[in-house]
Amino acid sequence: MSSSGNDTASGRINRRQALAFAAVGGIAMPFVLRDAVAQGKAVNVGVVMPLSGANAQFGINSRNGVELVADEINAAGGIKALGGARINLVIADSTSTPTTAANVAQRLLTQNDVVAILGAFASSLTIAISEVTERRGVPLLTMSFSDQITGRGFENIFQVVAKASVLGKAQFDGTMALAATAGQKLERIAIMYEDTAYGTSQAAGLREGAKAAGVQIVMDDAYPLGITDVTPLINKLRASGAQAVFPVSYLNDSLQIIRAMRQQKIGIPAIGGAAGYVIPDFEKGLGEFAEGVLSIAPANYDLAPELTERFRKRYGYFMVHEALEHAVCMDVLAQAIETAKSTAPEALRKVLHGTRFEAGWTKTMTGGAVQFDKTGLNTLSVPVMVQWRSKELVTVWPSDVAKAKAVWAS
Amino acid sequence: MAVVQAILDGLMIGGVYAVISIGLTLVFGVMGIVNFAQAEFLMLGMFVAYYAWAWLGLDPLLAAPLAFAVVFVLGAALQHLLIRRVLKAPEVAQIFLTVGLLIVMENAALLMFGSGFKSVSTPYQTASLQLGPLFVSVPYLAAFLMSVASGLVLWLFMKLSWFGKAMRATAQDPMAAKLLGINSDRMHMLAFALGVGLTAFGGAVILPYLTASPTVGGQFVVLMFTVVVLGGLGSVAGAVVGGFAVGIIQSLSGLAFPIQLQNLVLFVVFIGVLAFRPKGLLGAAR
Repeated sequence: MSSSGNDTASGRINRRQALAFAAVGGIAMPFVLRDAVAQGKAVNVGVVMPLSGANAQFGINSRNGVELVADEINAAGGIKALGGARINLVIADSTSTPTTAANVAQRLLTQNDVVAILGAFASSLTIAISEVTERRGVPLLTMSFSDQITGRGFENIFQVVAKASVLGKAQFDGTMALAATAGQKLERIAIMYEDTAYGTSQAAGLREGAKAAGVQIVMDDAYPLGITDVTPLINKLRASGAQAVFPVSYLNDSLQIIRAMRQQKIGIPAIGGAAGYVIPDFEKGLGEFAEGVLSIAPANYDLAPELTERFRKRYGYFMVHEALEHAVCMDVLAQAIETAKSTAPEALRKVLHGTRFEAGWTKTMTGGAVQFDKTGLNTLSVPVMVQWRSKELVTVWPSDVAKAKAVWAS
Repeated sequence: MAVVQAILDGLMIGGVYAVISIGLTLVFGVMGIVNFAQAEFLMLGMFVAYYAWAWLGLDPLLAAPLAFAVVFVLGAALQHLLIRRVLKAPEVAQIFLTVGLLIVMENAALLMFGSGFKSVSTPYQTASLQLGPLFVSVPYLAAFLMSVASGLVLWLFMKLSWFGKAMRATAQDPMAAKLLGINSDRMHMLAFALGVGLTAFGGAVILPYLTASPTVGGQFVVLMFTVVVLGGLGSVAGAVVGGFAVGIIQSLSGLAFPIQLQNLVLFVVFIGVLAFRPKGLLGAAR
């Protein structure tokens, strides 16, 4: 594409042609130069997150996690296998709408030459992005939960956490275990969930767990993500006679649900489905009413404080799970590039599928490592149950990793 | 009993819908302009109340008059600088202006406040009154009472004060009002400022049970238009009736249908009403 290439190809060019080539070369120059920089000195990694709209806070947390690790890698000398190439994050706002997410991903691939994409927290966004990355054969590393993510036979998607149905089942099983420890046998439970990909998948796991345990589901209601009045839901919950409630929500809805429950003096345990229940804003919004609320989580920061405290030091709040898992995504990608000694998508995909990643941030995951099966699912990740205790999240289940005993309010 | 509870909940939330929608209908009634950016002033009201709480420790209910005042001034300025210029312009220009205002305000809020959700915490937030088997949520009740109070004050203002009378005169016949020495420009400014201020007031009083975010307007804009059109565009009494109707329909539909269908039920009723009364429930009364 450069003018010199054309010069050597044919020795017979007149002055007019030479001028034309020079002009084209001049126009193309900046792009050529930028490409040279991209390949020689920096590895462009696309980060697509919801930085505005309903899920913005989660997107910001996730971006912080990725940035932390990328900066650490760059400070330690970049990707050594590529001669100390720096990681250059290309961050884009997917908003909270799937169509925008797909467009943004497309733009990163065509205009920014990203070698892989990390994102995008919300399952519905990740699914939209994965359609684009799969078409282009570029790896997409994600911590979105939905079963659909690795359930469609895609070759270029890598999910570092357990699937939503597994989380949902663990949310149920963990609750039963904690209740049993406290001497209560649950017979009737209620499920309420936001109706996008995440809530729907996780509710399916909850249902499956309840069915297997022979527990009656006395309420099973979906609600729209942007809900502004949860009163009808809570009225229904009160009338249902459930002994425990499993709300699967993002932030805005989780605050409304817990507040409305407290208003109606519903004291049964609420076991959240991660997302809105395991971020500092939840505690900030509810204050003392957050204390004792349980939630399932795909990972928790208290399992590897030596690493996660670095996040708190830099950003001033504890390392929420989406930040942690996105940090792991970034680190796994960097390790894969080191092993592959290349950023070619096929080489990366091969390494990602075939390697057990044990170094660096992968230690923060349950299982202490990351290994993807052929669908791209990390088979080592096991969900944990966490509880709010004086403004911190403490792992309380399963017992082999628990840091404290759960307080069960029946 | 569930029905009584649902109607009670619907009434309380309907009162809030009424007050945030009165602003929209007032602007249309007096100026003949449809303000698509109206819900953004609700968002602004929420943020004024949020920062009053975060910085000054002021309860959102007490900060509501402050939200009204701040947005009132902003509204007057916007009317003077922008809206005034399109009053006689084709409707398309008016739509472009207010929709443009919506986009600018939402994105300016994203820049200034960040995209996260802001939530206050107040002592009564999780309180409720129990009347036998019925529960009355204290934050909903407080929002309802504040809304009713502000609606009453507006009604008295319109009925008794010279400004109110002049404003109604301008709405009824701008030419005649002008001939009687009423400065219609000033009346428009007052109407617009009052309209957006009232919506901001509504935003502040609902903050104890909702979260503020730059995009919160989007969750209310369609509801506001439904309330106003259902009651009769331009009629303040219509907005009140429409507000209660929307609140109760939403709440009752939750008994029979999944909550996801709440708005579907609402719009089916809405279409039904418009089919028989194209000018809204109180449309002809105006």
